[in-house]
Amino acid sequence: MTSGATQEDTRTEAVSRLADPWVTIVWNDPVNLMSYVSYVFESYFGYPEAKARRLMLQVHHEGRAVVSTGPKERMEVDVQAMHGFGLWATMQQSDAPAAAGEGA
Amino acid sequence: MSPFRATPAGYVATWEPVEREVLARVARDVAGLLSADSGLPADATEAEVAFTGVARVPRDPAVQRLLPDAHREDADVAAEFRHLTQTDLAAGKVARLHRFAETVDPVEEPVTDAGDGDQVLVGRDAAQDFAAALTDVRLVLGERLGLDDDADVERLHHEVLSGFGPDDADTDADADADAADGGEGSDELDPEQRVYWGGVFVAAGFAQESLMDELLAELRARRAGQ
Repeated sequence: MTSGATQEDTRTEAVSRLADPWVTIVWNDPVNLMSYVSYVFESYFGYPEAKARRLMLQVHHEGRAVVSTGPKERMEVDVQAMHGFGLWATMQQSDAPAAAGEGA
Repeated sequence: MSPFRATPAGYVATWEPVEREVLARVARDVAGLLSADSGLPADATEAEVAFTGVARVPRDPAVQRLLPDAHREDADVAAEFRHLTQTDLAAGKVARLHRFAETVDPVEEPVTDAGDGDQVLVGRDAAQDFAAALTDVRLVLGERLGLDDDADVERLHHEVLSGFGPDDADTDADADADAADGGEGSDELDPEQRVYWGGVFVAAGFAQESLMDELLAELRARRAGQ
């Protein structure tokens, strides 16, 4: 193994860590209506009907879905908006275990 | 209560006087609870809150649900978020709940043509806030009714629509169990209250569902036309 390769790896790792985005997660609750959740995803995020529906069903069936990705400051805005709508939302760094798309 | 329908003036439904009165009262109650438990000064206007409000973690589980932690593991991130956003969020919800109450049951009845006294008219610009106020009301009622999962909600709908609570034997057994473990039971609704508040929860859900059908249809039509 050459030192050049090691440097290359280190550099790549540093870049990906800098770019590490955060995610906004919406969690399932038994009260919010499916139509209301779809409306929030379509009107606030501007997602097309099919994508909003897929995310809404993912929340409903899997208990949560990642609804947006980006820098921490941007996710704070999204989480605040979701709380404003009455959706149960949290944010976290995207490499944290619960941010994975599947599994509990 | 009739479903909301889109009209040129906005979304219109017909509610019985008692439905208007009860939903307005519960919205004002939720606003009061939220103000008190989130650290808002009792009689602050929206503008004052930014200077006088002090965010603290709500104690009431229903208010916690309206103002949840923004991070599940990192307490510092959650605390910082609460510090930055809670007074704005809470004040916005409180103002919205009062506007909802005023829409469905005006304190001073406006002079109108005879015959439209039971009509609830929600303007297009106000509809999203109206729906969100219904959400906050339903979340608080859902917490009080102990609705933890979809099966709880289905059972409640069944109870309300059939007009009966759980049978007496079950109720007694639950009451005994609660008395035995010495806690929580004191907060539980008795069967009569459960059917009453369950009815309010179901009515609020019916109103919101019909409003969302119209809002979604118009949103999709608008976006398709762009």
